[in-house]
Amino acid sequence: MLRIALKNVKHNPKRLILTAIAVALGVSLVAATHVFTNALSSGFSALFNDIYDTVDVIVEPDPDAQIDLPEGVSVFQESDIDKVRATAGVAAADGNLTYPGVLLDKDGKAPNGGQGGPPTLVINWSTTPDLAGATVIDGRAPAADGEAIVDVGAFAKDALALGDTIKIASERGVAEFTVVGTARFGEDNNTQGATLVYTTAASAQLFAGVDGFDGIQALVTDGANPDQVAEAVGAVIPEGTRALTGEQKAAEQAAEFDQVLQYVDIFTLAFALISLFVGAYIIANTFRIIVTQRTRELGLLRAIGMRGSQVRSMILLEAAAVGVVASTTGLLLGWGLALGITAWLERLSGDIFGTITLPPDAIAWGYGLGMLVTLVSALLPALHAARIAPMEALRESGTQSRKPLRTRNIVGVALLAAGGAVFAIGLFAGFDSPYVFVGFGGALLVLGTTLLGPQVLVPLAFGLRGVLTKLFRLDGKLAANNIHREPRRSANTAAALMIGVMLLALVATFTQSLKATFSEQFSTANADFFITPTAGPVPQAALDVVAADADVAYVSRVAWEEVQVDGATRSLAIIDADTADLAFGYPHDRDFTELAGGVFVDPAIQAQGVGVGDSVTIVGPATTQTLTVTGLYERDGDANYFVDWETGSQLVGETAIQQAMVGLNDGADPEIARDRIESELAVDFPLVQLQDASELQQFVNQFIDLFLTIISALLGSALVIAILGVMNTLLLSVTERTREIGLLRAVGLRKSSVWRMITIESLVMALFGAMLGMILGVAVGAALVRSLADFGFSSVAIPWRLLGVYTLLAGVAGVAAALWPARRASRLDILKAIATE
Amino acid sequence: MTTTSALAASMRAGYKDYGFGEMAVRALNGVNVDIARSEFTAIMGPSGSGKSTLLHTLAGLDRLTAGTSSISDIEITALTESQVTEVRRKNIGFVFQSFNLIPSLTARENITLPLDIAGTSVDGSWFDEIIGILGLGDRLTHLPAELSGGQQQRVAVARALMSRPEIIFADEPSGNLDSRSGAELLGFMRRAVKEFGQTIVMVTHDPTAASYADRILFLEDGVIVDEMREPTAEKILDRMKRMGS
Repeated sequence: MLRIALKNVKHNPKRLILTAIAVALGVSLVAATHVFTNALSSGFSALFNDIYDTVDVIVEPDPDAQIDLPEGVSVFQESDIDKVRATAGVAAADGNLTYPGVLLDKDGKAPNGGQGGPPTLVINWSTTPDLAGATVIDGRAPAADGEAIVDVGAFAKDALALGDTIKIASERGVAEFTVVGTARFGEDNNTQGATLVYTTAASAQLFAGVDGFDGIQALVTDGANPDQVAEAVGAVIPEGTRALTGEQKAAEQAAEFDQVLQYVDIFTLAFALISLFVGAYIIANTFRIIVTQRTRELGLLRAIGMRGSQVRSMILLEAAAVGVVASTTGLLLGWGLALGITAWLERLSGDIFGTITLPPDAIAWGYGLGMLVTLVSALLPALHAARIAPMEALRESGTQSRKPLRTRNIVGVALLAAGGAVFAIGLFAGFDSPYVFVGFGGALLVLGTTLLGPQVLVPLAFGLRGVLTKLFRLDGKLAANNIHREPRRSANTAAALMIGVMLLALVATFTQSLKATFSEQFSTANADFFITPTAGPVPQAALDVVAADADVAYVSRVAWEEVQVDGATRSLAIIDADTADLAFGYPHDRDFTELAGGVFVDPAIQAQGVGVGDSVTIVGPATTQTLTVTGLYERDGDANYFVDWETGSQLVGETAIQQAMVGLNDGADPEIARDRIESELAVDFPLVQLQDASELQQFVNQFIDLFLTIISALLGSALVIAILGVMNTLLLSVTERTREIGLLRAVGLRKSSVWRMITIESLVMALFGAMLGMILGVAVGAALVRSLADFGFSSVAIPWRLLGVYTLLAGVAGVAAALWPARRASRLDILKAIATE
Repeated sequence: MTTTSALAASMRAGYKDYGFGEMAVRALNGVNVDIARSEFTAIMGPSGSGKSTLLHTLAGLDRLTAGTSSISDIEITALTESQVTEVRRKNIGFVFQSFNLIPSLTARENITLPLDIAGTSVDGSWFDEIIGILGLGDRLTHLPAELSGGQQQRVAVARALMSRPEIIFADEPSGNLDSRSGAELLGFMRRAVKEFGQTIVMVTHDPTAASYADRILFLEDGVIVDEMREPTAEKILDRMKRMGS
């Protein structure tokens, strides 16, 4: 039986090729991710080993401990380092301090407008060679305060010269350094893109605004055991800090990094599963068609004594063979893909990957998923094949009875009804987490629609027949007939595309609504400019500069903190109560000026029965305060509690300013004011930028668009698979209709007409799938947005432009998917096609 | 289409080889044939004699290796593939042994198929006349699967007649039918020749079927070896026996 199964696969490789490609694409996504993250993991673990290679013992704050220190006071002081130096077994020890900033260009401007990019790290230079982590290449090590050496990569990139003065900006201001040398980090200056600037300990502390160090690094004497030394050091260091060996630190960092990579794996696995789910429709379709085409052959096998169960096993064996080939192809494809991506990334950002291997987990996932999806999808067709009676062998071909769609319809309607009900519960019943209901209901609706596809497609194809006949005459009529002839097959094909497009439309609706929500909120902004942080929080000193400008009427600050109320974590917004309402149209029942040292609560808190006059006890990082509710905030999702700046500062201590809104005096010219304020800021705070409302909106939209692009790209493989499915169905049905097409050609149908007929068929299936997908996607997306109102989504927006693009793409894909089948159909040898057996 | 020639189709020095070199099989070995207008011609011969090949090359379904063949005045061996398709559509009708009909189209749609392909309008009275003669009036809305074998072949003949082609080629049209249905079908074909002046060329190996023709061409090893006019089943049988020996 295995022999027959393998022979079938070998004899008809063509009709299984596209099926195999569908599986392979899904598998390759999984494999590529695993290969990629595996290489990244081994690369970074090597990097961490490099970093901590020369250091024996590391002293640092314990990540599990809470240390409260006043602003500007470091965890480690010089006296702590002395204690470490005095510990038995320690040969040398030095404090280390690293503080981020941005290296300004020659005009004193932040590159990139200060937005993103790898940081510049200002590090204290250790005179003990093994503790510096870098080697001086040109010039000399920094000796006097204000001297610095720059890593060789940045030195070359920024065209610096020894003796140059460089400016480095941080949230604290701008510092100047004189370049006295260059240094190579580690063995090959692999800094992952960062710029490294080494200066004296005093200069580094001045730059960072602290009086000590972040950590201590130590070397042990020859023959001493680092573990034992670390233990001894642990006894003399301040409370809330820990000592560990360099080796342990490297392993810890590698493990943390692997944790992050695991999320990447899971994230892409989700998209691979979507691809394979779409692929499952195609596999099921292919095997169903193959079984139908081989009805007589299978009937013959039954007639000569093969049991039904053997027929079933035979079909499943064929599926397994396809699964093995496809999974293998997918693994290799994924491996190749990962090789390509890593090679490309290494050219961009240096040697960040370890050796690239095909890790065992990639092989396990690849074969596991590939085989599972193939076998499960082939199960129903195999069961159907097992029921073929020996009599079928004797029947004329082309007269198989069509299985009624009743069961399918019943299940479909049931799923649709259940989905609709859960959907409605989520939207209207007012339970907690309504989005869970909406999501689940949406999934049921999609499955139900898939099953009812034939029921929708039959009338639709009939309705279209008239239109298509009008438009394309006979070609259109024949195409409509072909779709209608195999409603199950056409519907499954369209369903595969529907799912992909649905997810696209869903994400597009979601992001469009997100944009609309933001733009609605920004439209209530009265402030002329916004200041948002770029590196670290917005410095108060910069705001003082802004406030000092003659044209500025007010600067209104906003900060968000997490606080505890009744044991639950809540969000707290801290605002400048006297100017907040001038700057922004906050929705509340009275002005923030009436806060009067009290607190406003949002709808989520109001729902707990908290009202004006009640008191609320808020536990902040610094102190606990019991406040009187003096007003109600009226929009979900912004923050649970609102307090003024004074109260906020008491609760959280030093408040990190996250946003500031700037209003100008009446009659001030915004452009002139902006130019002046920006040049005033450029002196000490080149990183602080002004944005007006539309720029801020654009800035936000960029991120939303990036998100949409990433998701769309990941859904791309599911869409490619769906289009392969359309192609596959058409190819198989062209094979099935060989004689019919031959006859049409014999009685004079042009090749171009045959081509057109197949293309129309493909177009109708593609557009039908895309339309249904878009309707479902927009509906589920809109409902999800509504159910997420608690998170601040205020308006539903339909992405019409993108829907237009998707329709267009579906059309193009439909035409493209028809290319191969149409070419085959139009090139059929008429004589062979009409030849009787 | 107006033509000056009295011939509906002709072939001169027709050669047809299948395969190349050592493996080549010569199916037609220098055939000269003229098909007169308004005549019912049958082509007979043992299996492998090349009779189907002759039909296919005459009809432009297949190309000659050497020689020329024409439909009325058009030399189809000189035409491109798409031009031959045009000729087939305008000038030729087909009836095959089986699978003549598009399963998804009704009988009426199948009959008007060539006109639909050409995009020309249906001559209603001509349609009614054909349907009347072939007795298909109450079957027009049925799909092929709902028709008997005989009815299916009659629909095929109706389709072939519908565009009033220069010539109809039939390949064993009664081959899959029982004798009564077969006789009926051949009777209709003969009436089409007599009453409408339709030219028909039919390939068959059945002497009874061939006896409906005006003229029989006997083919053996790719050459026409004999011709018979006013045939009867007995005369044909007799001639066939001599061929075998």
